[in-house]
Amino acid sequence: MSALGRGNLFSRAGEGIALAFDAVRANKSRAALTILGIAIGVMVVIAMASMISGIQGGVTEIVSRAGPKSFVVMRYFRDGIQISDGTDEMSPWRRRPRLSRHEANLLRDLPAVQDVNVREGGISRVSYRDRTLGDQTFVQGMDPVWLRVEGGEIIDGRNFTAVDAAAAAHVVVINQSAADALFPVGDPVGKVIKIFNLPFTVVGLYQDPQELFADNDSPKIIVPHTTFSKVGNFDRGWISIMVFPTETATQAEAMDQVTMALRIDRGLRPGEENTFDLVSGDRFLESFNSMTQGFFLVMLVLSSVGLMVGGVGVVAIMMISVTERTREIGVRKALGATRGEILFQFLIEAATLTLMGAVVGMILGGLIALAIKSFTPLPAIIPLWSIVAALAASAVTGVFFGLYPANKAARLDPVEALRYE
Amino acid sequence: MTDQAIIRLAGITREYLMGGERIRALAGIDLEIGRNEYVAIMGPSGSGKSTMMNVLGCLDTPSSGQYWLNGHEVSRMADDDLARIRNREIGFVFQTFNLLPRASALSNVELPLVYAGTGARERRSRAEEALARVGLAERMHHRPNELSGGQRQRVAIARALVNRPSILLADEPTGNLDSATSVEIMRVFGELHAEGQTVVLVTHEPDIAEHAHRVVVLRDGRIDTDRRVEHPVGAASAVA
Repeated sequence: MSALGRGNLFSRAGEGIALAFDAVRANKSRAALTILGIAIGVMVVIAMASMISGIQGGVTEIVSRAGPKSFVVMRYFRDGIQISDGTDEMSPWRRRPRLSRHEANLLRDLPAVQDVNVREGGISRVSYRDRTLGDQTFVQGMDPVWLRVEGGEIIDGRNFTAVDAAAAAHVVVINQSAADALFPVGDPVGKVIKIFNLPFTVVGLYQDPQELFADNDSPKIIVPHTTFSKVGNFDRGWISIMVFPTETATQAEAMDQVTMALRIDRGLRPGEENTFDLVSGDRFLESFNSMTQGFFLVMLVLSSVGLMVGGVGVVAIMMISVTERTREIGVRKALGATRGEILFQFLIEAATLTLMGAVVGMILGGLIALAIKSFTPLPAIIPLWSIVAALAASAVTGVFFGLYPANKAARLDPVEALRYE
Repeated sequence: MTDQAIIRLAGITREYLMGGERIRALAGIDLEIGRNEYVAIMGPSGSGKSTMMNVLGCLDTPSSGQYWLNGHEVSRMADDDLARIRNREIGFVFQTFNLLPRASALSNVELPLVYAGTGARERRSRAEEALARVGLAERMHHRPNELSGGQRQRVAIARALVNRPSILLADEPTGNLDSATSVEIMRVFGELHAEGQTVVLVTHEPDIAEHAHRVVVLRDGRIDTDRRVEHPVGAASAVA
């Protein structure tokens, strides 16, 4: 005969849950402390899962917004962090030729390519009269099509034009943050600021896209790339070329054409490796995902430690509970409870405690996610799997850590238990 | 006579090891209790009375000998089978009531039915019936701490009866009650006996034992005397 074979398992479980709530009511502060351990563990899971999911969702969105088909030609791309000491072994890009404007123009003319944006960045002092953004301001040179890639919009004035670019005009588009710092009062458009120690006319005010990682607080200074390459003093050779395929072409077609064109231009023989890298959104996402996997692992370890600590608390409380209720266990046994039924009752009680903790933790974690969402540019999405995982993990924790005390209760000798004062 | 006997003990012994010393709490008990008997088991402390009660109640197993309860040979049964026998065959009434403090009278009385696997609706109606039987129909939603001692013991009796056990086993049922309440509780036992219930009472109070129809006195783990009671207290009113 199975111990649980008799009667309805659900009504038995219901009784166990009711008893657990009773036990919690009877010892509020004690139960609260037990629950707290589990709650903190679950809170960590939910808060971190929501952040990572949010970031992931945001990155995916940005990548797809930049044109699901667009990709970047780079001199060198490798996942993870590179440390260079300038030697060939540590700096594999040294043998690779720099990307050039000539190559960018070549790519623009390919049938599968609609347009390209050449990007390059450098450091300069940026100032307006006695106001300055500092000596280490990041200045970017871009083609006039840049707005389409980077998102955002011109809210005042205009973008620089192809004519500006062709003439290498000293014009600049700045964002609100830069404008606030340089022009606390008055309209920035039309003012002349100093970049690379040369005068540049502000032609447009640019609004960053409202989204993930858009550090709207940091100033952005964007000049035509033609101008940039003439006057910028920087480590040259790190142009990247953003390629937009035409509407009819697939990404693969465009990538093939780009690869072929560059190989021919560089005179690479069949069998020789490419001396450039193509980085598509997918590839970027891939490397981002491998990074977040590391995050997940750390999170998992942290939260399991939290749950373990909570679990130890459960053991302690359940041991006390079993001891306190020795007589009750004796009575239940006298009335016909089998070992299995006593075991089941205490396991349900432990699982109920930890599930309560999980619910509290979820609410706290959700609040943290909400706070992150409202006070930082990071989005936070609570993924369904994290809720399910947290509930399951805490129930399992309850059952696992409840086993020892529950088994102790189940094995009590009824005669001894009834005699217990 | 065997088919009439609801309890049959043959050569029951129970030994304990206490501090390396072997203590013989029961030293060979032979006893038969028939259906619808009302038996009091008496004896001074140390006579083996409590051990006898534990063995009869299937809470403890004898070291040797045989025990048939309502046709089941329970002396060699394992833990969980004993639990089942306790559930079906025995209704316990304890000196300290042993009600679950945070459960209502009704829930307390339902408990044996929970372990019997009875469905919720039947559980409730039978528990209500049992409580009505002991005169507590009005108080079934009260918790033990809202009831008097006598009322608590009535709840315990209702709980003992609810699963229709073959024996009602009461261990000093009036030990925690004043004398007026004791009389009241003993009247309930008398009535149950009159209705056909087999009652076994373990007590050290001669007054209480005189309610039974048969008194078995233990001394040093053996049966010292086993006598019929000529005029049981309260029997006249119950029977006549």
